Amino acid sequence: MISPKLVEVGRHTNINLITNSEIENIEGEPGDFDVTLVNRPRYIDPVKCTGCGECARHCPVTAVNYYNMNLDDRRATYIEYAQAVPLAFAIDTDTCIGCGLCENMCIAKAIDYDDKERTSKLKAGSVILSAGSRGFDPSSLDYLGYGKFPNVVTSEEFERILSASGPYFGHLMRPLDREEPKKIAWLQCVGSRDKNRSGNGYCSSVCCMYAVKEAMISKEHAHGDLDCAIFNMDIRTFGKDYEKYYLRAKDKDGVRFVKARIHTITEVPETGDLSVWYVDETGATQEETFNMVVLSIGLQIQPKTVELAQRLRIELNEYNFTSAAPFAPVKTSRPGIYTCGVLQGPKDIPSSITEASAAACLAGADLAEARGADIQKITVPDEIDISGQEPRIGVFVCNCGINIGGIVDVPAVREYAATLPNVTFTDDNLFTCSQDTQDKIKEVIIEHKLNRVVVASCSPKTHEQMFMETLEACGINKYLFEMANIRNQNSWIHSKTPEIATQKAKDLVRMSVARAAVLNTLKEKIVPINKQALIIGGGIAGMNAALGLGKQGFDVVLVEKDTQLGGFARQLHHTIEGEDIGAYIEKLIADVEADNKIRVLKNTRIVGFEGFKGNFATEVIVDGSDDKEKIKHGVIIVATGASEYKPEEYSYGEDKRIVTQVELGHRLEEQGASDLDSVVMIQCVGSRNDENENCSRICCQNAVKNALDIKRLNPDAQVYILYRDIRTYGLLEDYYTKARELGVIFIRFDQAAPPEVQASDDGVLVRIKDHILQQDVDIRADLLTLSAGMVAEDTDELSGIMKLNRNPEGFFIEAHVKLRPVDMPSDGIFLCGSAHAPKLISETIAQAQAAASRATTFLARDEIKLSAITAKVDTDYCVKCLTCVRSCPFEVPVFNTHEKVIEINEAICHGCGVCTAVCPRETIQLSFYEDDQITSKIDALLAGGM
Amino acid sequence: MTEKSGSVLVLGAGIAGMQASLDLANSDYNVYLVDNSPTIGGMMSRLDKTFPTNDCAM
Amino acid sequence: MRLEYPSNVKIVRVPCTGKVDVSHLLRAMQQGADGAYCVGCLEGTCHYNEGNLRCRERVEHVRNLLEEVGLEGDRVRMYNLSSGEGPTFAAYAKEMTEHIKELGANPLSQKQKAAA
Repeated sequence: MISPKLVEVGRHTNINLITNSEIENIEGEPGDFDVTLVNRPRYIDPVKCTGCGECARHCPVTAVNYYNMNLDDRRATYIEYAQAVPLAFAIDTDTCIGCGLCENMCIAKAIDYDDKERTSKLKAGSVILSAGSRGFDPSSLDYLGYGKFPNVVTSEEFERILSASGPYFGHLMRPLDREEPKKIAWLQCVGSRDKNRSGNGYCSSVCCMYAVKEAMISKEHAHGDLDCAIFNMDIRTFGKDYEKYYLRAKDKDGVRFVKARIHTITEVPETGDLSVWYVDETGATQEETFNMVVLSIGLQIQPKTVELAQRLRIELNEYNFTSAAPFAPVKTSRPGIYTCGVLQGPKDIPSSITEASAAACLAGADLAEARGADIQKITVPDEIDISGQEPRIGVFVCNCGINIGGIVDVPAVREYAATLPNVTFTDDNLFTCSQDTQDKIKEVIIEHKLNRVVVASCSPKTHEQMFMETLEACGINKYLFEMANIRNQNSWIHSKTPEIATQKAKDLVRMSVARAAVLNTLKEKIVPINKQALIIGGGIAGMNAALGLGKQGFDVVLVEKDTQLGGFARQLHHTIEGEDIGAYIEKLIADVEADNKIRVLKNTRIVGFEGFKGNFATEVIVDGSDDKEKIKHGVIIVATGASEYKPEEYSYGEDKRIVTQVELGHRLEEQGASDLDSVVMIQCVGSRNDENENCSRICCQNAVKNALDIKRLNPDAQVYILYRDIRTYGLLEDYYTKARELGVIFIRFDQAAPPEVQASDDGVLVRIKDHILQQDVDIRADLLTLSAGMVAEDTDELSGIMKLNRNPEGFFIEAHVKLRPVDMPSDGIFLCGSAHAPKLISETIAQAQAAASRATTFLARDEIKLSAITAKVDTDYCVKCLTCVRSCPFEVPVFNTHEKVIEINEAICHGCGVCTAVCPRETIQLSFYEDDQITSKIDALLAGGM
Repeated sequence: MTEKSGSVLVLGAGIAGMQASLDLANSDYNVYLVDNSPTIGGMMSRLDKTFPTNDCAM
Repeated sequence: MRLEYPSNVKIVRVPCTGKVDVSHLLRAMQQGADGAYCVGCLEGTCHYNEGNLRCRERVEHVRNLLEEVGLEGDRVRMYNLSSGEGPTFAAYAKEMTEHIKELGANPLSQKQKAAA
C-alpha cells in the first residue's frame, strides 16, 4: 500500500529528498526560516547508484539487519528493502571493513569511501515536524523476560516475522527453534498505560488493533489450529469500523480476549515455552503456557527527537509529544513550525495521514502569496504528428551494469531485436536509465525519425514514467513507449541458466516490439478547474475547512441547512482539557463571517447537482425561496456532522432523572452538582450493540470529563461509571487515571448482562453484576447518565442528489480507510468531521484542515490533465445493451437518452477496463490496453514456438 | 516585511511526512523532505499487513 | 527478491484482471499456449472493487468452454495474491508449470506444428 506513495514522493519534481540528514538549527522567522542541516555520509552517491545491488552481493561483511528488527543479517553495504526510495544502497561504516570490493564491483562508479559529514543550509517558509516514534523498548521490564527468553518478541519483531520479505519469509516461526507455534499470547499495554514501570501514562492508541490484526494474520499463516489469546485491561477498538474488526476476530476467527493484569512470565526450560502468570478479573492468580509471547509495545518518542525539539525551542508535554491546544491540533509552540503524526500524540495511520494534510494546510496557508515561486516549470515541445507513418521502432537493451548483462547475452538480444518487424534502430547500454543514455536516446530518436520506443530493462513500475518523459522531451507522444522487463522478470529469476535467460529475453523483446507497433498516440484531455469550493455543513468542521481554503486564497461557498452556524458543538461547553467550546465557536463564526473569501448561505438546501472534478454545479434553495441558485465550483467538502443518539434504552424519556451526557453537561453548567450525592453513568448506550456495532469513540472521555466536573463541583459526590471497556485512548488516559484517583468508581459489565434500571421515589436504582465481587450490586443514583453514542446527521436526500456513498450507520465513506481518510471515492470531493465518523473536536479540526489541504491540491492548478488510459466506446457498433452501464464499479457509462448513445466520461473513468471485457460486441476499448495491444503480445509470444 | 519563501521543510519521511509533502508539492510548493535514515517510509514500511482491511502495508 | 520460478511463464501486463477478456485467454489457447493463468489481487482488495472477482468468473467460463471443445479446462487458472507476496507468486508459477507438465502439451500446438 505504501509503495505507490514511495514512488510518487521519489519522482515528484517539487519534492527534494534529503536522506541521512537531520536538522541542526532553525533561525529566522515564519515565512522565511534559515535551516541548517547535518548531512551524514552515505558513501554511495544516490544519483549515480542504480540500485543494482552488485555491491551488496560482493560485500564480505555480515551485519545485523536493523530493518528486520535484528532477526536476521544483511551486508555492510545494504538497502533496507526491495521497494526502497531512493533506490540506492548505503554503506554502514560501523561494520564496513573498507576492503574496497564494492568499489571495484560498482560499474556506475557510485561508491565514495571519502564521503564526509557536511552541513548545509536552505531556506523554507514553514516547517513540518513528522519525526514519528519507535516502539517502546521492553528490556527494562524484568517481569516480561524480554531479551532473556528467546520466544518473547515485541510486536515490531512479530510484524517482520509475519512479513513475506522478513527474516523467516513469512513463515510463522518462533525464534528459539524455528518451530511453528501452536499457542501465542499477546500482552497489551507494554510501555503504555503504565506510569510506574515504563513512565508512560498514555495509551498508545494502536496496540489493540494491531494485536487483533497480528492474531488474525497468524491464524491465516498457521498450518493447523492456532490458539491466539490477547491479554488486556480494555480492548480499545474505537476507530471507524474497528469494532467490527474486533468482533470478527473474536466471534468468527476465535481469537481469545482475556481480561488480565500480567504478573510475570517464566520460561519452561526444556521446551522454551512460556508460562504467563496473571491476575484475572476476580483477583485470582492464573497461569497459562504458550509457545510464544508477543509484547504489544507502545509508541515512544525517540531521545534524539526530544533533543531536536530542545534545539528548535519547541515545547513537548511530559511524554515528549508536541500535542498542542485542542483547537490548534497541528501547531507547535513555535509559530511557523507545525507537527503531525505520532510526534503530535499516539495515533494510527489514517489519523496520521489526516493530520499530515492538516499540517500541510497551515504550512502552505502561511506562504500562500509565494505559492509556485520556488518550483520548476517543465516545458514540453510540441508533439510531432506521426499519423500515417509506418512504425519505426527503436529498441534499447539495457545491461543494468552486470545485472542483466552478466547473465543475458545482451548483444545477442540486440541483434535479434534488429531482425524483428518494424525495428529500425537497436542499441545496448550499460545503464539505459542514466542521464547520458537518456540524452543519447533523444538524439537517436530525432536522427532515425523513430516513432516508437522499446526499452528492455527493468520494471515499468519504477522506470516507465522516466522513459515516457524522455519521449515527450523530443516531441514523441509518451504512449508510444513499451518496456520489456528482462531484469526483474528474467535475469534475476534465471541467473543460474544464462542460455534460458537469453532466450526468454528475446521472447519478451519480441512481445514488446509487437505491442509497440500497434500503440497509438493518446491525448490527455485538459479540463479547466473552477477555483471555488463548496462546503456542505457549517459546524466546526465546515468552518475550519472554509477558513483553511480562504487563507489559501480560494473562494468558498459555505452551505448550512440550519439558520445559524456552529452545528452540534453548540450543545457542548468545554473540552476535557478545559477549553471553552462556546467561546471558540463564537470566534470561529466571527472569523468566517468576516472573511471576504467566504460566502455563507444559511437555511439552505441542496436540490440539484451535476458535474465532475474541477467542474461541479450545485443548485441550492436559500431561505425557502422559489428560485434555485446554481453554484459552480471545482471541489466539494462534505462536513454534515453528527449529533447525540436519543436513547431508547434504560427508560430514557420516562424520568427526568435519566439524562444523556450532553444533557448532564448542560445541567452541570447551569445548576452545578452540589445537590448530587450519587451519579451513575452507563457507557455504550446506542453503540457496540446489534443495531450499531461500532464504538462511538467519544463517549468514554465524555463520561470521564463530566465525572471530573462533578468531582470538581462537589468532591463528596459519588460517581459510578458502568462500562464495557474504557476507551480513553492517547493522552485522554491521564484523565481516566485522574478520575480513578479522585475516587470515581468504574465497574465493568458484559454486553450480555447489562445494568438493570428502576426509577423510584428515592432515586434511580441501578443493579449490576460486579466482576470482582462476583455478585450483584445495587446503586442508588440521583441522576442516571446515559453515554449515548453519536449518530450521523440525516443525509438521505443529500447523498441521493450528490451520489455520495454512506455506510450502514449513515456516515460517509472515504476513498480508502487507511491511506485516503479525507478523500471521497469520486475525485474532487472531500470529507471531514463527524460526517466521516464520530470524533473529538480536535480531531474534527485536524480533518477539516486536511480537507482544505486536499482541496487545495486541486484548486492550486488552472487545469487538470486527465489520464489518457480510459475506456472509449465505438457508438457505431454499440447495440446499447447496457452491460457496461451495469458492470462499471464507478457508474461511469451512462445512456444518453437524447442522443441514444452510451457515453463514457473520461474525466471520471478510472481506467480499470471492466467494461471493455464485458462488452459482448467488443465496441469498448481501453486506451493503451486495447485488445490488439494485448493479443499482439500473446501472438508474438506463441509465434516463437515457446 | 520579509519576502516569503515558497518552500516547506518536512522532517521525517514516514507516512505522515510523505503525505504532508505530497499535499504541498501538489499545491505548487517546493518541499525539502528530510529523513534521518537512508530510505523513506518510516514505521509503516516495516509493517506486514494493516488493520482494518488486512491489506499488505508495503 | 530474485526468487526463481520457471522460465516458461511470461507475463502480459493489464491494469486489473478485470480487463482480461475471455477472448484473450481463448486466443492464447488457440495459438498453442499450454496453459494460461491470471494473477489478481486478493479477493476483497481489488482497487476497482471487483475486477478480480469478474476475472475469476471469466476464467471459470473459459475452463468450461475448453472442456466443451475437448481440452482440459484446468489449463486455465486464476490465482490471487497481494503485491507484497513475491514468494507466493513464485510458488504459483511453479505449481502451474508442474501442473501443465502433467497435462502435457496443448494438442492445438501439436496440430499447428504438424501442419507446419
